[in-house]
Amino acid sequence: MKRILALSAAALFAVTAGLALSTSAGAAECPSGEFCVWQDSNFGGQRANWSGDDGWWESWISDTDSSWANHGISGPGIKDHVKVYESAWQGGDMTICLAPGQEVGYNGAANDRGDSHIWSTGC
Amino acid sequence: MLRSTPRARRALVTAAASLLISGCTVVGPDGAGQPGVPADRAAQDRLLKAAEHRLVVDCLADQGLTLTARARAPDEDRTLQAALFGAGPRELSVTLATGATVTAHEDGCLAAARARLYGDARRWFRAQVTVGNLRAEAQARMRDDPAHQEALARWTRCATPTDRPRPAGPDPTVAARCAQESGLDDVRARLEAVELLVVRTLHRDQLTAYRQLRDRALLRAAELPAPTPPQKGHDPS
Repeated sequence: MKRILALSAAALFAVTAGLALSTSAGAAECPSGEFCVWQDSNFGGQRANWSGDDGWWESWISDTDSSWANHGISGPGIKDHVKVYESAWQGGDMTICLAPGQEVGYNGAANDRGDSHIWSTGC
Repeated sequence: MLRSTPRARRALVTAAASLLISGCTVVGPDGAGQPGVPADRAAQDRLLKAAEHRLVVDCLADQGLTLTARARAPDEDRTLQAALFGAGPRELSVTLATGATVTAHEDGCLAAARARLYGDARRWFRAQVTVGNLRAEAQARMRDDPAHQEALARWTRCATPTDRPRPAGPDPTVAARCAQESGLDDVRARLEAVELLVVRTLHRDQLTAYRQLRDRALLRAAELPAPTPPQKGHDPS
């Protein structure tokens, strides 16, 4: 059911999500224009990346997120900030808001809590 | 994370309310009224983003790179990432009260554009990250409140099925109904407003820095010379 809803969310929000395995312990390897989430701290382990919103992350990354990077590209009127939420459909608490170029290698309070995110013009 | 006793919290709320009533607002007047700076907040945001975008595009062009939306090969995109977001050690770092350490590079075209607009890149980074996460900090504080914990427990009981295993996540319709019935929506709205006042008081120095640097950036954005139109045809020389 969750898979079906996640796919619906992808269609609704025009999500373009990707999956990659990163072994980087240094620079965050996140494609330009995308928001990336890793299962491990310091941008390690499996990575999910999106250029759009996702109201309900896939089960493998949902509540297993440990590091985050916003490689969005700014421009007039462009939604380039990312807000991460602890519940699906941008519900519950917002755990972090990142401007383009900002990264978080680990956050004890937000670790393994993310369920959804949305791009916005600001925090 | 910063914690406070109920008495200290009441004192903070009172202080925050006094600041607001006295007109000493946390995010005060902006650069409106200055030549070329629009009065409307949304128009100011557009001006800042347009200026930043232009500075970034010029910086990348100096390195033979462009910001087009086309797909890139991984190696090509890594080159763009390094030029745009910076590489190597992350020189900028702020640890929020929520526990998150937000970092960024001090090199790269994006950082250079912000340094030119805001003047003091490190001070702007600290202020922007702090102000941008005030709501996250307020919501984190809210979770510690007994009224919120009790309402959340009522919500959990409401949203948990009695006739089958608990799903990974509740149906959105059930979640919304339970948030109403448990009083969670009301408690969150009430507590979040209070905690926002508290965190704005705790971080009023960063809010002031944010306003000052934003005003400066608005002036600089308005003063940027018009972009040079692309050359057409051959240079006659």
